Amino acid sequence: MEPVAILLATAAALISVVATYLAVEAKDFLVAVVLSAVQSTAYALIYYVLMAPDIVLVYVPVSVGLLPAVSVLLIKKTERYER
Amino acid sequence: MRVREIVIASSIALMVLLLAYVIDLGGLGPLAPHTVRSIARAYLEYVYNPWNATVSSMALEAVTAIVWDYRGLDTYFETSVLFVAIIGVATLYRGYRELKGLGGTGLSEIVKTSTRVLVPLILVAGASIAIHGHLTPGGGFQGGSFMAVLMILLAVVFSLDYAFEKGLTSRRLLAIRSAGLVGILVTSIALLVAGALAGVGAYIFQNMAREGSDFSMPTWLLDRPLGGTLFFFNIFESLAVVSGLTLTFIVLALRKEEVDQALAAGEWYE
Repeated sequence: MEPVAILLATAAALISVVATYLAVEAKDFLVAVVLSAVQSTAYALIYYVLMAPDIVLVYVPVSVGLLPAVSVLLIKKTERYER
Repeated sequence: MRVREIVIASSIALMVLLLAYVIDLGGLGPLAPHTVRSIARAYLEYVYNPWNATVSSMALEAVTAIVWDYRGLDTYFETSVLFVAIIGVATLYRGYRELKGLGGTGLSEIVKTSTRVLVPLILVAGASIAIHGHLTPGGGFQGGSFMAVLMILLAVVFSLDYAFEKGLTSRRLLAIRSAGLVGILVTSIALLVAGALAGVGAYIFQNMAREGSDFSMPTWLLDRPLGGTLFFFNIFESLAVVSGLTLTFIVLALRKEEVDQALAAGEWYE
C-alpha cells in the first residue's frame, strides 16, 4: 500500500478509538449518537483505503443515516440524559 | 472531568497503535499473505470471461457477481431475514391508521429549501448505484439504503403529515416491498420455469448458459454487459430495501395518537 494510505487509515483508526471511548462515556445520549457517527465515518474511510468500495457504500447510509435516525427517535421517545 | 476523559481516550488510542505495530511485526502469530490467493484468482478469472461463458456471470463487478450469482442463495435468505424483521415491526404496530392534521409543520424554511436541492442528487446517486450494480461498486442494498435515507430526510424535514399526504403510507410501502420480493423470486426461478416448459433441464438461480442447460438471461443491453440476473436482482432488491427501511422508520416515528390506536387494536385482537 501507499504510505499516504497507511497514514490515512492509521489516523482514521485512532480517531475512531477516541470517538468510541467518548461515546461510551457520554452522559448525553445525543452526543453519544453524534460521536458514534464520527466513529462510523472513520471506519468508512478505513474501508475505502482498504479498497472495499462496496462496504463503504453500504456503511455510509446505514451507520451515518439510518442508525442515528433510529437512535434519535428512541431518545426523543424516552430520555435524553443518563441518570 | 473533560481533560481526564481525553487523557484516557488518547492512552487507549496509543495502546491500539502499539498493539497494531506488534501485530504488524508478526508478534501475535503469522500474518495473512499479501499475494492474491487462489480462490480470489479463480473468481477474478471467471467473473467476466466471454471465452468460457459456462462458468462466467458476464458482469464487470466481482462482488455483485459473488453476492447474487455464485452465492445467490445466501443473499436470498439474507433478504428474507430483513423481510421477516420488517414484518415483525409492522405486526407490533398493527391496527394503526395514519392521522392527518396533528399539527406537524416540519423544520424551518431554510432547511426545507436546502433539502429540496439535495433530494434529486441523493435520488440519482442511489438509483445509479442500484442500476449500475453489475458494472461499478454497489448494488441493490446499497442503492436502496441511499434512497431510504432520502425518504427519512423527507419525513423528518417536511413532517410526517406531509409524507402521509404525499402517499408514503404503510400500505403502499408494504405493497412495493412485496412487489420487490416477488420480482426477486420470479428472477430466481425464471429460467427453471422456462426450461420446464421447454422440457429441458435448467437450474434455480441460473444466470448464464451452464453445462446441460442452454437457457441464458440477457447478456448485453445495447453495447453494455448486463450480467443477466444481477441487473434484475439489483433493481428488485433496491425497491424492497427502500420501502422496507422507510416503513420501519415511519412506524417507529408514529405519534402518540396513532400508537394509541395500535394499542386499542391490539386489545381488540386479544
